[in-house]
Amino acid sequence: MLMITLKKEWLESKREGRTMWLGAIVLLLLAGALFSSWHGYQQLQSQKQQVSQSERERWLNQGAKGPHAAAHYGVYIIKPDPPLAVLDPGLSDYQGSVLRLEAHKKNDTLFRPIQDAIPMQRFGNLNPAFIIQVLLPLLIVLFGFHSIAAERESGTLKQLLANGVSAKKLFMAKVASLTGLGLLFLLPVALYLLVSLLLTDSLDPGRSVLFAVSYGLYILLWSLLTIIVSSYAWTTRNALIALLVIWCAVCLLIPKFTIEDAVHRYPTESAQVFQSKLESEVYTPQRQQAIARFKQETLAEYGVDDVADLPFAWSGAQLQFGEQYSDKVFDRLFGQRQSQLEAQSQHYQVGALFSPFIALQTLSMAAAGTDLLHHQLFNQAGEKHRRLMQKTLNNDLKDNGADNAHGYQGDHHLWQKIPAFHYQYPHITSLMANYAWAALSLLQWLVTLAVATYLAMRRIEKEGQQ
Amino acid sequence: MNNLICLNELKNLVRERLLWLMVAVTVCFTALACYNGYQWAALQSEVISNAGQEQQQAISHAQQTLAAREALTSPVNWWDDIHDLRGQAFYLMVNYATKPPLPTALTAIGQSDVQPYFFRMLVSEKQAFINQYDYVHPLGLLIGKFDLAFFAIYILPLLLISSGFNALAQEKQSGQLQLLMLQGLSPLRLLFNQLCIRSCVILVPFFAVSLAALMFFSEGITALSLTVFIALVLGYAAFWLALSALVISLGNTSAYNAAVLTIAWLGFVIIFPSVLNTAIVTANTAPSRIEYVDTLRDKSDDADKASSQVLAQFFQDHPELAKNNDPVKPVDYASKKIAKITAIETAMQPYDDAFQAVLMAQQNRVEQFKFISPATLLQQALFDLSGNGLKRHQDFIEQVLQHHQALRTFFQRRIVSAHQQGDFTPCSGCNADITLPDLTPIPEFHYREQAVVPPWSSLLSLWALAGLFIFLAVFRLTKMNRGQINGALV
Repeated sequence: MLMITLKKEWLESKREGRTMWLGAIVLLLLAGALFSSWHGYQQLQSQKQQVSQSERERWLNQGAKGPHAAAHYGVYIIKPDPPLAVLDPGLSDYQGSVLRLEAHKKNDTLFRPIQDAIPMQRFGNLNPAFIIQVLLPLLIVLFGFHSIAAERESGTLKQLLANGVSAKKLFMAKVASLTGLGLLFLLPVALYLLVSLLLTDSLDPGRSVLFAVSYGLYILLWSLLTIIVSSYAWTTRNALIALLVIWCAVCLLIPKFTIEDAVHRYPTESAQVFQSKLESEVYTPQRQQAIARFKQETLAEYGVDDVADLPFAWSGAQLQFGEQYSDKVFDRLFGQRQSQLEAQSQHYQVGALFSPFIALQTLSMAAAGTDLLHHQLFNQAGEKHRRLMQKTLNNDLKDNGADNAHGYQGDHHLWQKIPAFHYQYPHITSLMANYAWAALSLLQWLVTLAVATYLAMRRIEKEGQQ
Repeated sequence: MNNLICLNELKNLVRERLLWLMVAVTVCFTALACYNGYQWAALQSEVISNAGQEQQQAISHAQQTLAAREALTSPVNWWDDIHDLRGQAFYLMVNYATKPPLPTALTAIGQSDVQPYFFRMLVSEKQAFINQYDYVHPLGLLIGKFDLAFFAIYILPLLLISSGFNALAQEKQSGQLQLLMLQGLSPLRLLFNQLCIRSCVILVPFFAVSLAALMFFSEGITALSLTVFIALVLGYAAFWLALSALVISLGNTSAYNAAVLTIAWLGFVIIFPSVLNTAIVTANTAPSRIEYVDTLRDKSDDADKASSQVLAQFFQDHPELAKNNDPVKPVDYASKKIAKITAIETAMQPYDDAFQAVLMAQQNRVEQFKFISPATLLQQALFDLSGNGLKRHQDFIEQVLQHHQALRTFFQRRIVSAHQQGDFTPCSGCNADITLPDLTPIPEFHYREQAVVPPWSSLLSLWALAGLFIFLAVFRLTKMNRGQINGALV
């Protein structure tokens, strides 16, 4: 039955030349996008490695200077792109990948590629994820909208059923042929996943599995949806219109409305307010009082009246105290902002209940490591490194700066104490709790469509009995 | 005859309940799009107003605390002192450069959600502030907002296609067409009236809601802007209606028409623009920002290492500051810092120019090839009309850089002079003199709006494209008319 249906679908598709042509164009676009994305990735990674290395050398060879001057000199760290970013660049263009680590300041990442982009970029970048998430469902719709509706319209459906063809088998054969066709478009992606798994040490196999399974399910969902709608529609025209409305809502409208709603429900402050808050809450009279208290406590602890009599350099201790004071303010203000952004992400995921596109997009970016959560994890690692750097430099000044009347200077040995920054993406299993809504929604879609499939098959059976 | 066809068409639409559904969808979506555009423009205005208030408060605060500072005897760090030129220049200044939204901002959010519309200015390298941005959820930027431009570019054609794809074809399939033609009705006239009525069901509520929103919520909007907006959207709608007519004129079934028009929509609105974008960006690759950071660090190190040369160059470039320079007195930290900033900016200029050149080359390519799709034409035109396109942003950046230069000139002159007068070290161990008692002389930024040129070329191109398809459709339908008549007579 399956083979016969497949053969029939193939012949019909061949006859419908325009759909075949469109399929070929989309496949070509996918291959082109994959190649272009891979080429860009290779170039960018090589630049990132090179610049990270030269930044490290710059730090080590900065010459003799005061540790606090070195803290202000700072370092730039660069976020590496995970291998699956080739398939789904996700939010990479909208988040910078360079972070400056310096004294007294927690910075946001710099140089978002979108700021260097022309307005036409807003039409979307042709990348494999965009093609599979947005264009492939439309292609599945165009390939499958007529599959059962056309049989009904031409009267062949009743003939088939009267000849003893099982409605269940017919339905499943149509779904299988459409899913198989959809999966064909996944072949270049699967090939890339396989090659990167074999050739890249850093790729977490869990990420590849999540990526492949999510996309496979997504294609199955669209195939099921198309055949279900086609089996309910009285005419091919109605089937096509209904499916186009669903596609438009699922891929274009619901994601927009959901993220807008999320931003309205969990608003973040503008950069103007945020920066003003940072300044007004870090450099306050309370901070001066806290430093004065710390000074009194330190003098009392060592039983001296003047900081010059302390067995260490007071400037180093004061700088570290100041850093720790600012860090608490940073943790609170950046933490508030981060929790609002996380709430927005979670709210967006809830939208996956109404749009499998949202579920797939979330899981795809999660697997590729190109979503906001992964970006925040990089920022956290960067901030941890910044604090380690400040602590090492300030403690060195504290320990060694007391006896040097002409200003203590650190050298190569001190700079080496600060380790090079290496960022490793965490295993996806440790983060899956954050994507529970998206994963469950995808399963919920599968269950809902399975029920709808059952109902559709019964309807076809009844139609045959009439 | 025309009235009869239109009346009949309206009756059919009402009977199918399609009329009210389409009106409702169009009204709701247009209102939502206008609301989102209005909200965004209002948010920008609020941020700009807050920035202005913060700036004025800083000036008032400096005036109010002047007496206390004059009476201060306990030590104060210059970097914490709002009455010290150096503290203001490098750390404490509250000075904003802002770009207010245009009255037409409601039509398209455009690039304004990704490009900064305000900068907090300091005397620093321009690289330190020019890349500032408003930190929002990046997913919101990727997906974009549901504004009038999105509705017009993406949804409006779909509504027009879904309302018109079965025009004429339905009559043909049911055999009514031949009967109608025998009564002297041409397919061209029937299709024209059908498409007019069906498109009015969508376009009339769209324009009613959007124009009402623009007139009530966009203070200062001009009649010319409104006219251009109407002409642009009408031109775009005319293109899709003409394309529908052309596809229908091929004489296939309504399902075939729907499939072809959907593929055309996919091509013109999604595939062509994104392929064009990818091709342009690949052909005119921007320099790497990662390498830019590397170069910036190198140039900064070079300026540090060659500080005496940098300073000499600075005074050579500014002889008006050098003439009072006492060669015996060591140059102060602030002057050295300004000299270093100037040196870094000069060294980085070729790299900044390279980015600018590539951006302009890419945009020129867009101007050359935007005719490939009516969607790209409309997007460019609406972005420009709303003031949220590339050109206005470039004007803003240029003015910000001029202001940055003005601030540096203001401070460097006063800092060198204060240093010469010994204001920063009036005596050993004591506080610096007050060098900036009043903040009002600090240059303020006022955005100079360039004359907004309506996007005539896009407008004409849209209508030319629509005209071409109208011509082809009329040609085909006239042929069909003759063929059908001949067929009917035979």
